Amino acid sequence: MVFNSYTFIVFFALVLTLHYLPLAWKTKKINLLLASYLFYAAWNPPFIILLWLSTVIDYVVGKKMYTETHVAKRRLLLFISLAGNLGLLAFFKYGGFLLQNFTGLCQLAGIDFQAAKPDIILPVGISFYTFQTLSYTLDIYLRRSEPEKSLLDFSLFVTFFPQLVAGPIVRPGQLIPQFKQPHTATREQMLQGLFLLSLGLFMKVVLADSLLAGPANSMFGSNQLPSTVDAWAGVLAFSGQIFCDFAGYSTCAIGIALCLGFTLPDNFLYPYAATGFSDFWRRWHITLSSWLRDYLYIPLGGNRKGHARTYINLMLTMLLGGLWHGANWTFVVWGGLHGFYLWIEKFIDDKTGLVKNMVQSGKKTIAAFTYALFTFFLINITWVFFRASDFASASKVLKGMFGLHKGEAILTTLDLIKAFTIIAGIFIVHWLLRNSKVLTVAYKAPWWVIGIVWALLLLLLIWSQESTSSFIYFQF
Amino acid sequence: MANPSLQKAAWLMLAITITTAAAWEIHLRKSGASISYDETGPLWAHHRKKVYMPSEEATVFIGSSRNKFDLDTKTWQDLTGETPIQLAQEGNCPLPVLDDLANDKNFKGKLVIDVTEGLFFDIFPGNRIEINNALKYYKEESPAQKLSFYINSFLESKLVLLDKEYFSLSAKLKALQIPNRKGVFEFPIFPMEFNHVNFERQSWMTDRFVNDTSLQQQVQKVWLFVFDMLKNIPPLSTHDLDSVFASIKNNVDKIQARGGKIVFVRTPSNGPFWMGEQMVFPREKFWDRLLATTRCAGIHFTDYPVLKELICPEWSHLTPADAVVHTKELVRILHEEKGWKFSTIKSR
Repeated sequence: MVFNSYTFIVFFALVLTLHYLPLAWKTKKINLLLASYLFYAAWNPPFIILLWLSTVIDYVVGKKMYTETHVAKRRLLLFISLAGNLGLLAFFKYGGFLLQNFTGLCQLAGIDFQAAKPDIILPVGISFYTFQTLSYTLDIYLRRSEPEKSLLDFSLFVTFFPQLVAGPIVRPGQLIPQFKQPHTATREQMLQGLFLLSLGLFMKVVLADSLLAGPANSMFGSNQLPSTVDAWAGVLAFSGQIFCDFAGYSTCAIGIALCLGFTLPDNFLYPYAATGFSDFWRRWHITLSSWLRDYLYIPLGGNRKGHARTYINLMLTMLLGGLWHGANWTFVVWGGLHGFYLWIEKFIDDKTGLVKNMVQSGKKTIAAFTYALFTFFLINITWVFFRASDFASASKVLKGMFGLHKGEAILTTLDLIKAFTIIAGIFIVHWLLRNSKVLTVAYKAPWWVIGIVWALLLLLLIWSQESTSSFIYFQF
Repeated sequence: MANPSLQKAAWLMLAITITTAAAWEIHLRKSGASISYDETGPLWAHHRKKVYMPSEEATVFIGSSRNKFDLDTKTWQDLTGETPIQLAQEGNCPLPVLDDLANDKNFKGKLVIDVTEGLFFDIFPGNRIEINNALKYYKEESPAQKLSFYINSFLESKLVLLDKEYFSLSAKLKALQIPNRKGVFEFPIFPMEFNHVNFERQSWMTDRFVNDTSLQQQVQKVWLFVFDMLKNIPPLSTHDLDSVFASIKNNVDKIQARGGKIVFVRTPSNGPFWMGEQMVFPREKFWDRLLATTRCAGIHFTDYPVLKELICPEWSHLTPADAVVHTKELVRILHEEKGWKFSTIKSR
């Protein structure tokens, strides 16, 4: 089920009631586990089996791997876990993509091979829980942590409903220890959680769905060549939509967990005010970028094997990060563009240290603002590949953005106003708050201001009436 | 962080939210607004599930908005003792639904198909979007969405402010009608008195609309806008039209082979709308050919004095009062002339 649905309100009210009944902690954990399975099954009940499979494989493999001393057998166990988790991911998420590319290669080679289009439904959030369970077995393999003894706690770690389908991607050490002791929220934490939930829903329902999805869909879905204004408005609208959709989900997840007394890591920190691309990846989908850093970039050698290998490792990480987002070459190009930007930034930084100094000082100077604006400009170019369904569409939009064709007016004046004003608002808010956190800001403001803002969020939420659309990141 | 500021803020938030929402609801009711349902995906899917009722207990209606305005579901139910299942979708071509029902082996019931030629023969671009979305929703509806639908329907039945079509943020912004740049396509909006939808998916216009010619003219202007659009669209080629007829016949045959019954209905339209329709879709080339190809029964409003006399205030849809007359006549014709049997025919 999605957070922005009536079903979730009922579900969450029941979960909270059960969680605050005077029951044993183990019973409460069982309740949370069953609730998490119900939360997932409410999409497509059979896919619950995948969750169980992933849980059982990693629980058993983790235990055996920890006690196994024989290197080859440890590797075999790691292979079983990787094959189990990545195999499911490959089949459900990349099966069609692999087949399509194989067919293309055959045709290039002059072989007339036609495959039936596979009818595979992507299980919601499979990329997220796969990475979460992988971090568990990889940590044990790398001797960074011990296996979890309790199947209940491990199952809850894999399945914990607030972050199950779209993150934040949590490491075992961040969540499992919280299951060891009874956790309930204080009244203040409960209010903080509800405030974050309201803010997250506002971002998703009002900004992403009600105001920004329209202009983005109209421009990207149009058969016409967009004019420069339309191309930019559509891309900026998508830029805001993807942020509000995904950061909105993460904010909801953090708020919901807080209502239950649990703490989840931050996933977004005002990314559109990033000064440079390494700063951007410390602010955008933080739990994924740190996962890729710890389990891909560093094992590949990170920056320990010389300049050339550092650049290659960086690019490989970004390309695979792109592919993680979707089974399409456009996502690979999106990742590749980010890798390319990181290359240039690293090259300049290695010579001058300019960007590093700017980020480390954290000062809001004119130079930093200009660089943040330039970074945002480049990020928008990458979003074209993320959103466009194919390279032809991406090329059409890019040509429009840079005035390389005589485009047509596509978007209504209302759409233009929505796109430009909301994105300007988001950028300004990100810039002003870039060194702080939402709750810190909320506590600094007078209570009546927060009360009014909170009411506005809820009223706009009621008013927008966009109640059940899926989050974009569910498909990843 | 341990200070009580969020508690005070929360109380204030609750007070403002409840007061404002209540004031908005009262204001809307005082200005004459009434309950209306969002007729898309979930509600459509809810009714789609009922098509498996035994044929002696229900009749399925597909088509476009005319079927939704012109069929009075209560009158139908009272006269026939059967449930009308309204699956028509405004502004959309009904052929995807015909295709869906034809390929659903469990559907063996009675089917009334509204023929609004401009939509039925599929010449408007994008006139299958909503109906295809509804079909997709029906096929993919999750258990969570089902529960959300019941909660949402309950709330919609109590709160006027939940009329998404006219009172949502998007609708209100669109109602500002900010002028567009030259060449930008934007479909004009209908006055809110024109179309309200009940839980049975019947559409109805308000008394104010029925009595206010300026509101009717607003809708007439929308139809003129549609005619202008139509001018830029090339007519269907003979080959394409042949394919459409072949596809309809194929689907009709499938349903009839399972024992289903089908009737095509051409509901009333008047004025410039009807004149335009006659020019673009001459009866012998479309309506007559449809009946000849499918060998189905048909009811054309011009063939029946009672139907012929009905007036559509905005040229295309009947008033609630005339929908009752239309429905009674429809039941009579089906029963007396087309051999349809109903559980209970009470009276005309």
